[in-house]
Amino acid sequence: MAVASLDEHELIKQLRAQNEAALGAFMAQYETRVFGLALRLTGNRQDAEEVLQDVFLTVFQKIDSFRGDSKLSSWLYRIATNAALMKLRKRPRIQQIPLEEELGPAMTDEGMIAEPVVDWSRLPDDELERKELTRRIEAAITQLPPDYRSVFVLRDVEGLSTEEACEILSLSEAALKSRLHRARLFLRKQLADYAVGRPSTASMMQKTGITSSPSHA
Amino acid sequence: MLRCCDVGQLLYDYAEQCLEPLVSQQLEQHLTDCPGCLAFINTYKQSMHLSKELRCEDIPPELRQKLRSFIKTPVSSRRPSLWERLRLRLSRSS
Repeated sequence: MAVASLDEHELIKQLRAQNEAALGAFMAQYETRVFGLALRLTGNRQDAEEVLQDVFLTVFQKIDSFRGDSKLSSWLYRIATNAALMKLRKRPRIQQIPLEEELGPAMTDEGMIAEPVVDWSRLPDDELERKELTRRIEAAITQLPPDYRSVFVLRDVEGLSTEEACEILSLSEAALKSRLHRARLFLRKQLADYAVGRPSTASMMQKTGITSSPSHA
Repeated sequence: MLRCCDVGQLLYDYAEQCLEPLVSQQLEQHLTDCPGCLAFINTYKQSMHLSKELRCEDIPPELRQKLRSFIKTPVSSRRPSLWERLRLRLSRSS
């Protein structure tokens, strides 16, 4: 049976029949994404591995109750997100960042930026440097409260659409937008604090004369 | 004329490319005159871009193997008992 070519309706039928080839193809299609999602949400490899196994177990046990109101993948991501968040909630509560604080540049009373902002967006083609920046994002994600983290990971890391992320998290578009924007501002700030201090940015700032005054990262 | 604080309000929709064309044009006009807002938007978008690089490319081969053997296990014996799960946890932590 060419499982890869099955449409979703037929795939669900085969999963319900516990067709081994269909189960294998379904796992092959989603295991990496489910593991990645769990890894970013929990920030812990062991937890992610457990989530991955629990998710497929749940899917195979509950496929009969899947009503098909959403896409099969959305249902899978919802199970994975809930399983990963459950792991997070079981951990001792760590100090989380107050996302209410101002994460953008200071403004004058007239609503104009009050300080120079450093543009560190043109990154050198240095793989190590890019790796370090992504490592910083990884670390910053673990500081996000779970409600912000899930939105950020589904949308910006996994690349799901706004509609799909809203459906998976049972969130309104306005709530998703607000959380995602705050999460991005926070991560931008974490990257900026690192990027502005690195030598290649310092030399770029010297060239553009930015170093002479206090600036917002 | 947009002010920097207006740009802050529009930033999300601009990055998502869902601003009305006229508002988008006004924002871009502001950016040509305001290096601070331009730098902020560029770095906001760069953060989004870098976040995509965190997407997992593959799972560890041993984990894939574990999942594959899981499919081959008869359905009735897949769910370990509470004692088995406890034993598994203890063996992992030792």
